[in-house]
Amino acid sequence: MLSIEAVLRGVGAALLCLGAFAGLVSAIGFYRFKNFYLRLHAATVGTIWGCVFPLIGASLISVTMDELGEAKWFAAGASIVTAVIVFLLAPAGSHALARAVHKARVARVQPCISDALDPNLCG
Amino acid sequence: MIAEIILAVIIIYIVSIILLAIRAIKGPTIGDQVLAIDVITYITVILFVLISIYMKAALLIVIAIPLALWIYALDIYIAKYLEKGDLGA
Repeated sequence: MLSIEAVLRGVGAALLCLGAFAGLVSAIGFYRFKNFYLRLHAATVGTIWGCVFPLIGASLISVTMDELGEAKWFAAGASIVTAVIVFLLAPAGSHALARAVHKARVARVQPCISDALDPNLCG
Repeated sequence: MIAEIILAVIIIYIVSIILLAIRAIKGPTIGDQVLAIDVITYITVILFVLISIYMKAALLIVIAIPLALWIYALDIYIAKYLEKGDLGA
């Protein structure tokens, strides 16, 4: 008979392993990609796959951890709230930063086919 | 069983933080540095949650929410500085 604790722990551990893999992929991408606009892809992998899903998994695990005592509900709720906050704020911050970098002409757009906003930055 | 998985995940996250810190120090432009610090902080948030479950100290989770809010403020401030030239009021 499969208990609800075993199911919650299994799903939580799977989400944690997925998050660790995504975090490592994001770090390697940051190290290897060539310029700022390519590194935005790696940043998105690292924030949504590497932070939001493991936070949900940690919440599911902490519900089943009886060693934490009554504080296990506090831990689970705080993890879910943090996951929602990161899910809302991380894409907004990345978009604001990308727009500012393009307007301030800090990084060139490479590889570039066409750039309608500022043709001088192309290539 | 679950403790070993959490310990392995913590070690993998620490390795990724080291790789990201290289980019945060080297980064050719300020955008690269801020983006790398962004991802480092989001990974630190999940690291605090995992350490608090591993050490059985639930009060550590209180740190996670201000950390996630602070790094959004850093993003917005740097974006405003790059666009307008100063932080404004």
